[in-house]
Amino acid sequence: MFTPGSKFFLGLTGFSLAVCVLYIALVDNATGGAVALLSIATASGVVAGLSLFNRDGEVAVGDTAAPASAEQLTASMWPLIATVGFVGVVAGLITHPIVFFLGLIALLAAGTEWLVQSWSEGASSDKVYNASLRGRMLHPLEFPILATVGLGVIIISFSRVMLAVSKDAGAIIFIVVGSAVLFAGAIFALKPSLKKTLVVGICVASAVGVAASGIAAASNGLRDDLVKAKKEHHFSHKECGEEESEHFDHLAEGTISMRSNPIATIELRDGKLTARELGVDKVTQTITFPRSNDATIIFRNKDEREARLTAYLGTKAVQDGVVEEVLNCTQMIGIDHEQALTFKIAKPSMASEKPYTLTVPGLEGQSIEIMVP
Amino acid sequence: MSTTTRRIVAGVSGLAATSFLASCAKDAPQDTWQPKGSNAKIIDDLQQPVFAIAGVVGVIVFCVVVYCIIKFRDRGQAMPEQTHGKPALEIGMTILPALILAGVGVFTFRTVFDLSKTSDTQMVVNVTGQQWWWEYDYPAQPELGITAPIITSGQMVIPVGTKVLLRETSRDVIHSYWIPALNGKRDAVPGRVHTLRLDADKPGIYAGQCTEFCGLSHANMRMETVALSKEDFAAWVANQLADAKSPAENTLAKEGEAVFLNQCVRCHQVNGLKKADGSPAIAAPDENVWSGAAPNLTHLMSRNTFAGASWDLLNKKCRANVWGASSETVGKKYLAGVSEECLNQTDLRRWLRNAPAMKPMYADPTQLSSTNGKYRGMPNLGLSEDDIDKLVAYLSTLK
Amino acid sequence: MAIIERPATAGGVEIAPPATPSRAQGGFKRPVATTGWKSWLFTVDHKKLGIMYGVMAMFFFIVGGIEAVLIRLQLAAPEGKVLSASVYNQMFTMHATTMVFLFVMPMAAAFANYFIPLQIGARDVAFPRMNAFGFWCVLGGGIFINLSWFLGGAADGGWFMYAPNSGPIFSPSHGVDFWTLGLQITGIASLTGAINLIVTVLNMRAPGMSLMKMPVFTWLQLVVQFLLLFAVPVITVALFLLSFQRNFGATFFDVSAGADPLLWQHLFWIFGHPEVYILILPSFGIISEVLPVFSKKPLFGYPFVVFSGAAIGFVGWGVWAHHMFASGLGPVSVAVFSISTMAIAIPTGVKIVNWTLTLWGGKLRFTAAMHFAVGLIVLFTIGGLSGVTHSVAPSDTQQTDTYYIVAHFHYVLFGGAVFGLFSGFYYWWPKMFGKTLNEKLGKANFWLMVIGMNMTFGPMHILGLQGQPRRMYQWTEARAGEGFFNLAFWNQIASIGSLILVVGVLLFLINVVKTARSKELAPLDPWDSRTLEWMTSSPPKEHNFDVIPTVHHLDEFFHRKYQQDPVTHEYKQIATAEEILADQEAHADKHIHMPSPSYWPIVLAATLPIITTGVIYSIPVAIVGGIFLVLAMFGWALEPSTAPETDFDPPAAGESTKELAPLV
Repeated sequence: MFTPGSKFFLGLTGFSLAVCVLYIALVDNATGGAVALLSIATASGVVAGLSLFNRDGEVAVGDTAAPASAEQLTASMWPLIATVGFVGVVAGLITHPIVFFLGLIALLAAGTEWLVQSWSEGASSDKVYNASLRGRMLHPLEFPILATVGLGVIIISFSRVMLAVSKDAGAIIFIVVGSAVLFAGAIFALKPSLKKTLVVGICVASAVGVAASGIAAASNGLRDDLVKAKKEHHFSHKECGEEESEHFDHLAEGTISMRSNPIATIELRDGKLTARELGVDKVTQTITFPRSNDATIIFRNKDEREARLTAYLGTKAVQDGVVEEVLNCTQMIGIDHEQALTFKIAKPSMASEKPYTLTVPGLEGQSIEIMVP
Repeated sequence: MSTTTRRIVAGVSGLAATSFLASCAKDAPQDTWQPKGSNAKIIDDLQQPVFAIAGVVGVIVFCVVVYCIIKFRDRGQAMPEQTHGKPALEIGMTILPALILAGVGVFTFRTVFDLSKTSDTQMVVNVTGQQWWWEYDYPAQPELGITAPIITSGQMVIPVGTKVLLRETSRDVIHSYWIPALNGKRDAVPGRVHTLRLDADKPGIYAGQCTEFCGLSHANMRMETVALSKEDFAAWVANQLADAKSPAENTLAKEGEAVFLNQCVRCHQVNGLKKADGSPAIAAPDENVWSGAAPNLTHLMSRNTFAGASWDLLNKKCRANVWGASSETVGKKYLAGVSEECLNQTDLRRWLRNAPAMKPMYADPTQLSSTNGKYRGMPNLGLSEDDIDKLVAYLSTLK
Repeated sequence: MAIIERPATAGGVEIAPPATPSRAQGGFKRPVATTGWKSWLFTVDHKKLGIMYGVMAMFFFIVGGIEAVLIRLQLAAPEGKVLSASVYNQMFTMHATTMVFLFVMPMAAAFANYFIPLQIGARDVAFPRMNAFGFWCVLGGGIFINLSWFLGGAADGGWFMYAPNSGPIFSPSHGVDFWTLGLQITGIASLTGAINLIVTVLNMRAPGMSLMKMPVFTWLQLVVQFLLLFAVPVITVALFLLSFQRNFGATFFDVSAGADPLLWQHLFWIFGHPEVYILILPSFGIISEVLPVFSKKPLFGYPFVVFSGAAIGFVGWGVWAHHMFASGLGPVSVAVFSISTMAIAIPTGVKIVNWTLTLWGGKLRFTAAMHFAVGLIVLFTIGGLSGVTHSVAPSDTQQTDTYYIVAHFHYVLFGGAVFGLFSGFYYWWPKMFGKTLNEKLGKANFWLMVIGMNMTFGPMHILGLQGQPRRMYQWTEARAGEGFFNLAFWNQIASIGSLILVVGVLLFLINVVKTARSKELAPLDPWDSRTLEWMTSSPPKEHNFDVIPTVHHLDEFFHRKYQQDPVTHEYKQIATAEEILADQEAHADKHIHMPSPSYWPIVLAATLPIITTGVIYSIPVAIVGGIFLVLAMFGWALEPSTAPETDFDPPAAGESTKELAPLV
């Protein structure tokens, strides 16, 4: 059952595992050595498995068929790809790590394919059988990898396009491309008699098209507002005072999920700030928050200007004697839009010098008090 | 009658008898079939007929099956007709239950919406669950005499005949607030506020229990709702609004205050308690407990249970006196609070000696790595018997 | 410039024609043993796998039963001290997990595996190796989950595992990790099994067997497989979220990060409610076979039973939120789900009516199997009706999370699912093992189980309605009420009942041992049955049928035995089972090709617990497991599903190869 080669590697696996156990037991701080020994064990385990599957590469042993023939050689692109990979590796060492890794991947892929192909071609004199042998060995690897790569290229290309064009154009492109895919799918499904080459041609052409426009879009860069937002570090900062950035995200409410059952809803309308607690059917200027509780409020902007809601949550000592205000805020919210804000107040109101409040920067005289009993 | 039949008949009569006797289990404090408030009443009015219908259907099916068993037993009769069914009968037997259920559905629909109304609220209480006790805070509601927020735990006090709206939330895991005599249950979910209507017809103490599995001491997370007459409620509010008074100098209680300031105030707030330098002592449960809260003890002795309402502050005799009181007298007795002679010394001392031994909690440092060393529940403080004496003396002044 | 020179093929040299090797790839030759442990370990035979599913499920039934008894002992008296709070929480979590995922589901899978191919006249399932893989996954997952008992404590969040209580902060032991990952493994088995059986039923039915001539058991199992196919991915997603939250610091249910813990409840119950039907429909199927046989009548309203089963399969997806009536969904959702829950009672009611009408006018023989089947009708009706009472949402807010619910679902799952499975044991035992279980012991078993079950779960209705919540490790006198029949009394009755139940189950085990020891063989057709599985030898041959039968009727076997007199319209026996079998053997197919045994299913399944162990303790272990997983997948891919003779290891001394030899 076990071939000589696999026996050797299995033995090596077992031996290195045993040594590893001993090593860990006997040597202090054994991490490095243990990793090395485990790596040997794993590698020889894999090789043992491989040599079991292909009977040490001697497919033909014991077969009643004619001996392997050397005349079965077919054209192969793997030497070429291996060369490209090798060049990539070398070039990558002096230029850019990405080139190095791409080269390495090409080299590995070519090596594997080449190895299996030449092995299978020596298997027997039956070409069809040899091809099926190659398929059995490589298809479980090839299909998932190619599918992932293919999908990845299309997804990345498409996303580059969407980031490069304006939002409106993006919507139109999405609709057009989606409809085209649906239409093509429907045609293929309804007309099974369609020529195979035609179907393949359409698919390849569209895939190439998507990839090409992706490359074009990527080289064109992001659209203007994204570029500016990036410059202002808009995605990372939280300005709880008046807005200084020019290019905040005007669709903020769309980027944060809507919540049901928040503790209160704060509304800005006609320059007035009002609150409504969930379950209480009246408008108030004071809301009650349980202490030490992550709670969510919704800020709804019904005013005629953009606004943000800022929560003053007391102070905290940053160093000895230095005290800093704790603020939290929503993003700038457009007219008729809303956003959720989740925060926690750990100390009761009586422990704070100033009351906890919700205010809109730039709007004087309007505030909602947060009562923490 | 064959033996099987006789057994079945015996079984049926036995079942009937037991279900009759079931109603004899009287005065279970959490009985769901004894509504004491309008919301529970609405539910009860809906469920009684449903149970009756279900019972009748059950008996019919049972009788038909028993009839078949007796009547069609193999007595060597000829092979029965190989019938594959009678569609008309089948369709009829599909429509009939559908009609019954449609009827039930209409009433269910109405009741669901009745029970979710919030427009007729007369009083609001915020209810917050955490492992393993309930906290209540009453926002200021001057029209009810609540001029400043009140905070209490374990027992919620409401005025009788007033439509109270609970706004429930939780500080850690999901809990569920349930006072069977007053309404069904509603989960308290962290990050969400859920409302639950409550009102009581008569003064009394209504027991309940957390009914969403909330971890280790789920069984020890209880609560009561105490309904008081309007006057009694006003008296209760007045008492709750007052700060705790410091005990007289040179008493055991005063020494207890020092122990409290040294140990307990890390988590437990007592309003009005001053540190040695005269500044107010502010508890910091957020620094010591994972949920960030511990019961406010300002008026501990105005409640008659403690530790998640699982143990009594009243000793057996006094408890029976208060809990068993008629609806006319229960208010006065409850307001009297826990006097020295009524205090359940045993359980309170046991608790102070080693709380986690009494109520399973995460107080062992090896179990606290997931919470960065913060406790889940009260740890064993390692108090000396001396300190416990002093603390008990101090705690009994917190009326 | 030729680097490789071709050999000259000048005229006159004869070239041998290409020849195909006759041996499969892979160093391992096929396992060949037909007896001994090897024949079980590497088998792909649906019948052997069915039996192994059954043995495993029975083992976990005993484990879950012990857990249940410990729970009842703890609750027998106030302030029970048998278990600590922590162990109690683990106990009820694991009791439910074990019973649902490791007993009822695998036991239903056992019957499905064994009897679906036989009932549809097939020789095996569509993907025999995948079938074996599924079994080893369930076993591995089950063992993995239960390992947590010995490694710091089992899961303690309840089988519903509500977030955030199941998170790393509130459940710091590794129990929930074991639970999550173990269920993922069993989930793989459920998925592969579902796909396998769906393909089998849709493609491999005997000629002439249209869908509406298919036995009801197969029909309802088909519905179950579709439910599994769509429900398991949901729980898989939920479990992944939980795993990532626990093991990799994700915040799917973390409120401070803006999440909503109700997400888990929705995911869990969208899986969890169809799961209820996954548990009960196989038993419905079993008694839909048993009742007609022992009534000597076809199932009343066959199309209604089938379509109501399918209806349950559809409507079952629209009722999940009735587990969440107290969760604060808002009145609109509550009202809608309340109504849809009532709606699902209708197809269930249809089934009860049909079973009762099957009895009506029949010629009833009260064997043990029939006892259990009739018991199911009555007990399930009680459970179904208590279910209707809490489809009324306001009423449910009083009852949910009390013992009333415990009573309800034990009537449904014990009185329903388990009684159905026991009915199946007594009915099909002679088919599976060639010996009939002792009827007398069987009836004693039935009565003890009926009494025990009603004593255990009946009082729970009262306990619940009088306010005793579930999942409490202790109850106290203070809340037990007064009078003799207070909650303490009913708790005691329930605990005593659970012991009676234990005796009942023990009787079954004794019966099994006794039957195995007895020499008496069962007749070929002991019950005068109606479906195809009885048209072969007992136990069936490895290839099931010597001739694939051509089907003309629903209840084909009955119609081969009996024929209607055209004048009197009476049915007369025209053949015995023995004659039919002899006829089949005489015309046996010449070339029967059976799937070959394989090492790979068990090897592949064994890598999964290695990976999950690694996820909990150390990622490198998971990577090593992953490498072995890939190797095993290669081994599997390289192995042809049916191998030529040369690919088999020669039999060791004394071992037989009789059944594996190609029937030429």
